[in-house]
Amino acid sequence: MLALQPPPQAPIDAPQIEYSAILPVLILLGAACIGVLVEAFVSKASRWAAQVTLSLLAILGAGLAFVLYVTDSPERGLTTLYRTIAVDRPALFLWGTLLALGLGALLLIADRTVERGGAFVAQAGIRPGTVQDRAQMASGGMQTEVFPLTLFALSGMMIFCAANDLLTMFIALEVLSLPLYLMCGLARRRRLISQESAVKYFLLGAFASAFFLYGLALLYGYAGSVKLADIANAAAGSAASDTLLFGGFGLLVVGLMFKASVGPFHAWTPDVYQGSPTPITAFMAACTKVAAFGGILRVLTVGFESTSWEWRGVLWVVAVASMVIGAVLGLTQTDIKRMLAYSSIAHAGFLLVGALALRPEGLSGTLFYLLTYGFTTLAAFGAVSLVRDSNGEATHLSQWAGLAKRSPVLAWVFAFLLLAMAGIPLTSGFIGKFVVFSAGIQDGMAPLVVIALVASAVAAFFYLRVIVLMFFSDPAPDGPTVTVPGTFTTAAITLGVLVTLVLGLVPAFALDWAGTGTFAF
Amino acid sequence: MSVLPVLLLAVPLIGCLAVLGMRRAAVLVGVLTTGITFAIAVAIAFAVDYTRPGTHLVTDAPWIPPLGIRFHLGVDGVSVPLVVLTALLCFLSMIYVARREGTPERPHSFVSLVLLTEVGMLGTFTALDLLLFFVFFEVVLVPMYALIAGWGGAGRGPAARQFILYTLLGSGVLLVGLLVIYGHTSTLDMVELAGRDGAGMSRAVQVIAFVLVAGGLAVKVPMWPLHTWLPDAHSEAPTVGSVLLAGVLLKMGTYGLVRIAVPVLPEGALAVAPFLGAFGVIGIVYAALACLAQRDLKRLIAFSSVGHMGFVLLGIATLTPAGMNAALFANIAHGLITGLLFFLAGGMAERFGSTDMDRIGGGTLAVTPRLSVLLIIAAVASFGLPGLAGFWGEMLAMLAAFDPAAGLNRPLYLVFMVVAGLGALLTAAYFLVMLRRVVQGTSPRRQGVLDVTPVEYLAWAPLVVLVFVVGLWPGLVLVPTVDAVRFYLGGL
Amino acid sequence: MVGDVSVMAQSSGSDLGSYLPLVFLLALGAIFAGVSATLGALVGPKRYNRAKLEAYECGIEPSPQPVVGGGRVPVAYYLTAMLFILFDIEMVFLYPFAVSADALGVFGLVEIVLFIATVGFAYAYVWRRGGLDWN
Repeated sequence: MLALQPPPQAPIDAPQIEYSAILPVLILLGAACIGVLVEAFVSKASRWAAQVTLSLLAILGAGLAFVLYVTDSPERGLTTLYRTIAVDRPALFLWGTLLALGLGALLLIADRTVERGGAFVAQAGIRPGTVQDRAQMASGGMQTEVFPLTLFALSGMMIFCAANDLLTMFIALEVLSLPLYLMCGLARRRRLISQESAVKYFLLGAFASAFFLYGLALLYGYAGSVKLADIANAAAGSAASDTLLFGGFGLLVVGLMFKASVGPFHAWTPDVYQGSPTPITAFMAACTKVAAFGGILRVLTVGFESTSWEWRGVLWVVAVASMVIGAVLGLTQTDIKRMLAYSSIAHAGFLLVGALALRPEGLSGTLFYLLTYGFTTLAAFGAVSLVRDSNGEATHLSQWAGLAKRSPVLAWVFAFLLLAMAGIPLTSGFIGKFVVFSAGIQDGMAPLVVIALVASAVAAFFYLRVIVLMFFSDPAPDGPTVTVPGTFTTAAITLGVLVTLVLGLVPAFALDWAGTGTFAF
Repeated sequence: MSVLPVLLLAVPLIGCLAVLGMRRAAVLVGVLTTGITFAIAVAIAFAVDYTRPGTHLVTDAPWIPPLGIRFHLGVDGVSVPLVVLTALLCFLSMIYVARREGTPERPHSFVSLVLLTEVGMLGTFTALDLLLFFVFFEVVLVPMYALIAGWGGAGRGPAARQFILYTLLGSGVLLVGLLVIYGHTSTLDMVELAGRDGAGMSRAVQVIAFVLVAGGLAVKVPMWPLHTWLPDAHSEAPTVGSVLLAGVLLKMGTYGLVRIAVPVLPEGALAVAPFLGAFGVIGIVYAALACLAQRDLKRLIAFSSVGHMGFVLLGIATLTPAGMNAALFANIAHGLITGLLFFLAGGMAERFGSTDMDRIGGGTLAVTPRLSVLLIIAAVASFGLPGLAGFWGEMLAMLAAFDPAAGLNRPLYLVFMVVAGLGALLTAAYFLVMLRRVVQGTSPRRQGVLDVTPVEYLAWAPLVVLVFVVGLWPGLVLVPTVDAVRFYLGGL
Repeated sequence: MVGDVSVMAQSSGSDLGSYLPLVFLLALGAIFAGVSATLGALVGPKRYNRAKLEAYECGIEPSPQPVVGGGRVPVAYYLTAMLFILFDIEMVFLYPFAVSADALGVFGLVEIVLFIATVGFAYAYVWRRGGLDWN
């Protein structure tokens, strides 16, 4: 007779979970879920306050859990959840960076003093340019879904840079990307360009995800596992066809480079940075870059170090392309947000130099660079959001002429941040570049480093051009005014500037921390 | 731990931050700050016992331990003259700025930037850690860029752009070179590296590192053919900017060669020195010819700097103690003379509305006799009239080229010497042409143009006096450097 | 399903025999389709009206497009479709859990409850914010 009843299965072991290690992520995810419920059940009037409180508490709580764990975490790190998550020193460093940057970004997002009612649209569904759209622009409300979305994205980023297998990494990639696609389209003003940026980001991002997934499939076909360590083992001692390995690796890298906005996979970056609400741009520029490079570092080091001889040349070309594209096209930009976007592409190239070094110095250097770059960028976009005229933010460079006369403080702050991005000594940017490039030299990549330095000199030039514009040009008669920011934005900018300054003068503690350990797998 | 070098950097830094909040008092504070700094520099000059080997007044503290970067300051006979020169020129610049008609727009920013430049320059000359040297080297760039871009002449935009692009590229290459050295020796301590005489680095590594380091520094020197940023930057910069650019900034390049490139990488130096010498000599002749074609006073002085630095390069390229001393002496002499020349050109510009020699129109001796006499003194000092400061450095450099270090091609250096001598003749020619066109002849117009004012005398007189003193008593500069070169560059 | 087949392949020992249930299923499907089609035609009442004559009895008329609204498909369709996918995926995950519920034990139960709760949050959001109202 037919056996319709399957035979009893042997019990499946529940995974060992180090709750204390992943508690920060769990807190964020939990708070994000509660945030969704807040959206559902709290009245419209009190939603903003509830969401801001909840999100801040979540990040602070996650930070507390993180600090408590870090103080007595094992030196070698650990893997948990069936080895899909590796909580090791690099991951912890990135988590700390992400939490701090996330806090800063959240403060920018929560600000309602710079733009009345916040930088976000009151009702995203309204068609741009209509009467209702003008009404919502003047209204005081905003889509408070931004807060849970931010928490989701942040937790996705944290999982992304701790993911020890490619499938987990893919899930994390989607968890971090989908909220970002949405948030890009939520600008209160200039709705069309904002929506355009959201669609562009979504389409290209979906495309990149497909690349990632296809690469993942090929690598699974090669190694019979999605775990990075298994792929490394297979690559070290397998007779299987290399076509699958390198085909898969190539596709995977395309997906990763897209997220990190490394040229030539950068096409979305300027449009999305320009169109998104500036707090979201800050969040994206700072946190996504950290998460994406965390993932790149782990994939390259853990999964593909043994085959580095084969693919390194290709990534050299990618790094050079990114630096050259960022530096040269950055020169021609007339919009400050686009300029910062190209600068982020150039910085991605510099970061890749450190990631390619594949040695402890390269790892710690890249981690440190991410830390410095994240805070500088965060504060820079925060400062950009303050320069406004009657049409919202004044991002055209010509409107920034003579800004120092209107607001010396903002001009000095922004100049300092630009100098840090240019890598001038006594700012964190210099130390970051120094550690990354010296790792490159130690690994015998002197030609690449020379190109990187040339690119950074060119890039430095367009940063300095903005400084000169702010300080030595005559202001336009109908130029923008500088809004006096409220507590939140002031706190975020101050945080970024202080970190940039401190890491430029006494970076030893952060460098020590970045260099304490390697990946666990 | 010695407090003097730290004070030397701290005082202008504090001044730089303090003046930011001021308006009217800024210039006064600037004068005061640079004055105190100059006093500290003089105190340092007297505190050092030049007969003792090694670096003096050392401050050594860890700064960024994970990277091995130390806050390591100290001076010896190589650096003391440059420190004093820097502090003096900054002080005089501030006095010059303090004149009632000399106060720039936005004086607080201007003074602050000059003081920041001073911190960078003094730091460069006192740093004994490779990375600290680089940090100070870079610190100078941004304020100087801002000075040119903010207070320069009509063509300041392109000039500032060229300046920053060239020098940033140069320092990028320099950084790679320093990293190569660090990568092979695992130390950033200049004194220790110099003591090792290149141990731990193969010849190939040394050559690569030397090319990178010297290449980066050569932009700053500037060495022909990397000099093209200089004429624009010097002629477009405000007077004080030109004075500091020509008087001090260029020396940072040659100082780096003497302090780092040659002693740390002796084998690399041996391989590359002939090229340095050749470029230097070409620069001498090229600059002289270019000067003959200049119509603008400031551009002429700027090009003449290329030629003078060519002599410095030639001295260094001989790799002999005599050559090094010549280079260091010529550095100081050039700083004094060209600093003075740019001051005077600034004075001319204020009085005659232009530095274009045709627009000035000649005959200034009749209109402003004192200013013109000063210009004559500076010009003849610059082309190396014996008895004035310019003479010794160039003479000694050529003398050193007569007998270069063992291992170098002597006939080649003899050719260098002859060509450099020819260049020196041409230098005399163009300065005399300049004097004839500006000072002599009949004035087309103008009565009642103000001659040198008392404050200007205050700013310029020390330079004039020093041009004479150093010219008549070269030992003032040579005594400290000779011993220091012997101690520090013992491997030569 | 594939798992079941392979399990049965091991138990019956015959390769072809293990496909027998599939044949049964196929036959059963064919019989059901045939019977319901015939039976409907035979016993169903035959009262025609306009809606009955349309291409699809439910949903929207594909052509011609309505003039008002410029031929746009109402957004409510997409909302419904998305919700459908959401719950569909939930089912996809619930099924393997149900099959192995015993083996997974308490941990599995907690996990699936969390999973359902998470989907529930989204459902509550959609419900409270009017995602289920057709207009």
